[in-house]
Amino acid sequence: MTVIEVRGLTKRFGPVLAVDDVSFHADRGTVTGFLGPNGAGKTTTLRMLLGLIEPTGGTATINGRAYRDLPGPVHQVGAVLEATSFHPGRTARDHLRVQAAAGQVGASRVSEVLELAGLAGAAHRRIGGFSLGMRQRLGLATALLGDPGALILDEPANGLDPDGVRWLRGLLRGLAAGGRTVLVSSHILAEVAQIADHVIILDHGRLITQATLTELTARAGQVVRIRTPRAAQLHAALAAAGQRAHMAGPDRLEVTGCTPEQAGTLAAQLAIPIYECAAQAPSLEEVFFHLTAAPASQPPQEMPR
Amino acid sequence: MTTAIRAEILKLTTIRLPLGLLATGTALTAAMAALTAAQAGSGASMADAPLDTAAGLTGLLSTTYFAMIMAMVLGVTTATSEFRHSTATLTYLATPHRARVLAAKTITAFGFGLIFGLAGAAITTAVGLGFTAAKGYHVTLAATTIARYGAGAILGSGLLASLGAGLGSLIRSQLAAVITVFLWAFLAENTLGGLFHPLAPYLPFMAATSLAGSPPPGGKPLPFAAATLLIAGITAITGAVAARTTAQADIS
Repeated sequence: MTVIEVRGLTKRFGPVLAVDDVSFHADRGTVTGFLGPNGAGKTTTLRMLLGLIEPTGGTATINGRAYRDLPGPVHQVGAVLEATSFHPGRTARDHLRVQAAAGQVGASRVSEVLELAGLAGAAHRRIGGFSLGMRQRLGLATALLGDPGALILDEPANGLDPDGVRWLRGLLRGLAAGGRTVLVSSHILAEVAQIADHVIILDHGRLITQATLTELTARAGQVVRIRTPRAAQLHAALAAAGQRAHMAGPDRLEVTGCTPEQAGTLAAQLAIPIYECAAQAPSLEEVFFHLTAAPASQPPQEMPR
Repeated sequence: MTTAIRAEILKLTTIRLPLGLLATGTALTAAMAALTAAQAGSGASMADAPLDTAAGLTGLLSTTYFAMIMAMVLGVTTATSEFRHSTATLTYLATPHRARVLAAKTITAFGFGLIFGLAGAAITTAVGLGFTAAKGYHVTLAATTIARYGAGAILGSGLLASLGAGLGSLIRSQLAAVITVFLWAFLAENTLGGLFHPLAPYLPFMAATSLAGSPPPGGKPLPFAAATLLIAGITAITGAVAARTTAQADIS
């Protein structure tokens, strides 16, 4: 069931087209990774989704309604947008008490989310003395105050130590397993690959693709890596057979679009010895750079975050 | 609306700035009141009239303007601190209707402003009556007049704090907004009021301080109700403009 839906979303800041006719959706019980290079329009899109930035065109809805029209919004959507949205002179507990009061959340929930975020011991400390990682945890605690069904997180792993990243991964997977919808932007592709069911890729304000992680890597095609002492000869033979092969080293080849069986059979016919031959699915990082490579060759426009 | 007001009250009671501003406002008021009392009748330039005259005692009682301006600064910070610390994002996520947030800030600032005014009025009244008694003078003002000045200081502080909330929402930059308040209150109004006496009673800070007994240049303050309505009207207009601009602003 679709919870977050974006259709034709467009935002223009003066002469800069920050987001250009972007459409995607995120479903209940899934983690959707929202990827893109810096300046791709991710943050602007998320802020439009949350009613903080007025779109130039298109619609963004959560549970079928624009954010501003949601009754009791913090009970439906939790958001982490930046790790600096805190008054430094306020304690963590007081910050959450303020947000709980504003969102009509019971005061008892404050202690629960502090515990959940691993901040119970720092509850009475002023936020000004918090590390970036602690602020991220506090941001997540704030987002979870209303026990919302959807979470929209912008780079939530920024500043987290390895333990924190593992904690975040477990938390987001657990929330999705519990039926919540998680939309998470990140530039740490390996992290997204570990937690996301679906991936949305944005570049230069335009949607490049939305697919499941499996579809995406399959679509990119597997790479067959071959080690042979007669790599140049095999390279020529593969090219003559219409395969896309390139020399990855003096004794190494990478072939796209064929199977290990096809490459091995051709080598056997030419009596070329093969020391290694294995198919490897591309990583999310490889797919990401493949998909964003062409536009990235153009000088990026400076866009508002 | 009560939810948003409750959140705004909690915001102000969980940071130290309001107490700091209150302490500053009351300390400056106490110092100015004591100085005025000490120099009353001495022929010094600040306060020539002795305390056994209505003018002298009124001059002392109306030194509440420091508490009043600090109330306005507090009102400004209720709005500007949201942008200074980027907490506006969370505020508008919890309450997407931004005009409601601004209304809650205006009402909350009014309430806190009353406290500033109360503290200022209590200090000037205590200092004024204390010095008058210590010098063995007869109190030349009626109790109702002293009470009216006190009530005026309280009401004026509340209204200026509300006006500050609207002004802060318009300007957004905390430093710029606070500087604007001081420049307007101490420089622009004194200059305008000094040059154009008929205009003086209609200037917002002078109208507010006139509620507390301080006569504007030219010596003809607006009646109490008219001055109150004037400041309330300016606050309403500022708030309406701020609500309109805030509703359309991108929060990034």
